[in-house]
Amino acid sequence: MEDRTKNIVITIGFVAILTILFWANILKQNQEISITERRKLAQFPEITLKKLINGEVSNKIEKYTVDQFIGRDTFRSVKSFFSMNLLRQKDNNELFEKDGAIYKIEYPLKEQNLNQSLDKINEIYEKYLQGMPVYYAIIPDKNYYLKGDEHLKMDYDKLKQIALCKLQHMKYIDIWEDLELTDYYRTDLHWRQENLQKVVKKIQTNMKIESIKELNDIPVNIGEFYGTYYGQLGVKVNPDEMYILINDVIENCKTYNYETKKVGNIYDKNDSRDKYDIYLSGATPLICIENPNANNSKELLIFRDSYASSLAPLLVQNYRKITLIDLRYISSTLLDNYIEFDHQDVLFLYSTLVLNQNVLK
Amino acid sequence: MVFSSITFLFYFLPITLTIYYIVPNKFKNIILLIVSLLFYFYGEPKYIWLIITSIIVTYLFGILIDKYKKKSKLFLILSIIVIVGLLMYFKYINFVIENVNLFISNQIDFIYVALPIGISFYTFQMVSYLIDVYKEEAKVQKNILKLAMYISLFPQLIAGPIVRYTTIEEQIEKRNYTFEKFSLGVRKFIIGLGKKVLIADVLAELNTIILGSNESSILYYWLYAISGMLQIYFDFSGYSDMAIGLGKMLGFEFLENFNYPYIATSITDFWRRWHISLSTWFRDYVYIPLGGNKVSPIKWFRNILIVWILTGLWHGAAWNFVIWGLYFGILLIIEKVFLQRILKKVPLILARIYTLFIVMISFILFNGDSVSHILQNIGGLFGISNLPIASKESLYYLKSYFMVIVIGIIGSTPIVKNVMGSKKAHKFMNCIEPIFLLFVLIVSTSYMIDGSFSPFLYFRF
Repeated sequence: MEDRTKNIVITIGFVAILTILFWANILKQNQEISITERRKLAQFPEITLKKLINGEVSNKIEKYTVDQFIGRDTFRSVKSFFSMNLLRQKDNNELFEKDGAIYKIEYPLKEQNLNQSLDKINEIYEKYLQGMPVYYAIIPDKNYYLKGDEHLKMDYDKLKQIALCKLQHMKYIDIWEDLELTDYYRTDLHWRQENLQKVVKKIQTNMKIESIKELNDIPVNIGEFYGTYYGQLGVKVNPDEMYILINDVIENCKTYNYETKKVGNIYDKNDSRDKYDIYLSGATPLICIENPNANNSKELLIFRDSYASSLAPLLVQNYRKITLIDLRYISSTLLDNYIEFDHQDVLFLYSTLVLNQNVLK
Repeated sequence: MVFSSITFLFYFLPITLTIYYIVPNKFKNIILLIVSLLFYFYGEPKYIWLIITSIIVTYLFGILIDKYKKKSKLFLILSIIVIVGLLMYFKYINFVIENVNLFISNQIDFIYVALPIGISFYTFQMVSYLIDVYKEEAKVQKNILKLAMYISLFPQLIAGPIVRYTTIEEQIEKRNYTFEKFSLGVRKFIIGLGKKVLIADVLAELNTIILGSNESSILYYWLYAISGMLQIYFDFSGYSDMAIGLGKMLGFEFLENFNYPYIATSITDFWRRWHISLSTWFRDYVYIPLGGNKVSPIKWFRNILIVWILTGLWHGAAWNFVIWGLYFGILLIIEKVFLQRILKKVPLILARIYTLFIVMISFILFNGDSVSHILQNIGGLFGISNLPIASKESLYYLKSYFMVIVIGIIGSTPIVKNVMGSKKAHKFMNCIEPIFLLFVLIVSTSYMIDGSFSPFLYFRF
């Protein structure tokens, strides 16, 4: 190719890309949300003199143009592909794909955060739960089951050791041996409800809950599930299939959400951006499950994160009422406004992901 | 607004280029002035008044220096006091207060003042204009709009290169627009964009990880030092390339600001290749007026040290920058006294290793936020405190960033340029180059969309 031809190709290519993307972005309608990223997208800011002068307008326009860029998801996939396949980076924004599944690096073990999380649990015990049967289980994130040392993993042994040392008033239920990699969604951080039988059994055994009768759990396929990691990584992998377990007890239970003051069902078939929200309507500070068919008056309090949303329905046959408390969204100091602590069974059920952050209020 | 942003690349630039090439030539300067002020206002709205005031002051003093020859020196001094005074106030006032407070009991309160973007760059351009007018090396600009356009010209406004008035004096009046020049500008811009987004920003991630990590090993310190060195080069030279490329697209010719500094064979050579517009500015407006090397050895060394302390301070109002400047000043004196003669005799590879090592240490000084931090980072390179050679974490990040570092090392040398320049490869490279450049543009865009906002390192200067 001659120099002149090369110059023409470069210039026309550059001008064409700029022009096409300029007009495409101008003509494109703004989107409210990103389905793959599960978040609201920035909108064009309101312009006032004050906001203009203090730089708020410029900052928001920067976010707006990036969020609303045409073909955003495709460009993000290009970035992922380039960084992981051409630059051979081990992860992209701490996410990586292996054998068709997506993982997020959770590293290192942040001991200070862990200690603060455990101190909070102890504080709740001291304030509300003394003399009550209190149990705890730690849910390993799926990196724990990833074979090999190719990627960074937190020191799980140390985490367990610290927890055992600090939570001496409670009984530990070790569920780590009852899970494996296939018990987690490939595109999401959570575990699969239909694979939790062993975990449920372990919890029931340790909490001395006798299974009243063998329930016939029927797994119902509710379609494809593109998990949180799928949207974050921007790499095309096959979606998961999502199942919910149905049985007579679950179908007859009602939930009450203290925040929205709404009565609902265990499986909330709303149009949430996150399909995992089908379990107990997703993130919420305080929700209870009432089992009208219970043949006892026992209650269970679960201090929990999102993993418990899919597990709690499988424990409900043994209780008249299960109350789930998410301390990421409600301060522990407010709990006695809503809950009467009166010799219920208590289970702290937190994932390593949450314990490794300092997010419990 | 930074060049490596969606707003600039896909909104500001297409609109600016379209209007610029549609309007007749006689309106092009005014268009450039308007878009440049808008560009500045968008990024630094509250200090737009400062740059406009500085332009007016520069314009008026330029006229006075030119008109009243007998008092021109007085006007020059006054103008520098005003213009550099603004820089001193905004950039150094709290540094001065902090150090004065060390010696007095009644502590002076710090003044809340943010550093206006680009003030160090445009102040130096204004000073060079006024000195050149005083020395009659440049004609006074009687049209304030043209002078304002020169000072605020958006490609070089906020992070250089420092374009002297004499460099573009004629271009302000008349510029040549050729397809070839525009194409070269596009090429330079895309290469700069790729340097910034695909290498500097990626290495910035690595440096952030290392700085936030509790693990330490000798490998980690070397990774930090090498990636930091590559990051600052690709960040700053990428920005300069984009500025020069944009200049070409608009019909200007700016001088190169970098010339493969990491192949330098001495520190003297390094500073002929690194931030050329700054080092030549100090040479012409400080070093030579002080007498340069045409004085006694003592005064010569004094001149070198003054220039390098000022160079250090130009980069930031903190003692580590002063130490950084002194470090280079002392090394340059040592080279001039005897070391350069030895370096010329040793194999090139040894001279280059010496230079790279000195420069690597200099960037540790440059980036250090405390003496202990600096000593820790230098000591870590040599395993002080019985550090392990490598940790699991450092090996992971070495593997993860290995390719970027290798590309960075190759890109810091003229290897690719030499291959492309060879006659044998010319036609083949001509075919590859457009595909490569457009690929870099698309991939850089994807990084801008996915990545976090990352301003240029040199903005803070």
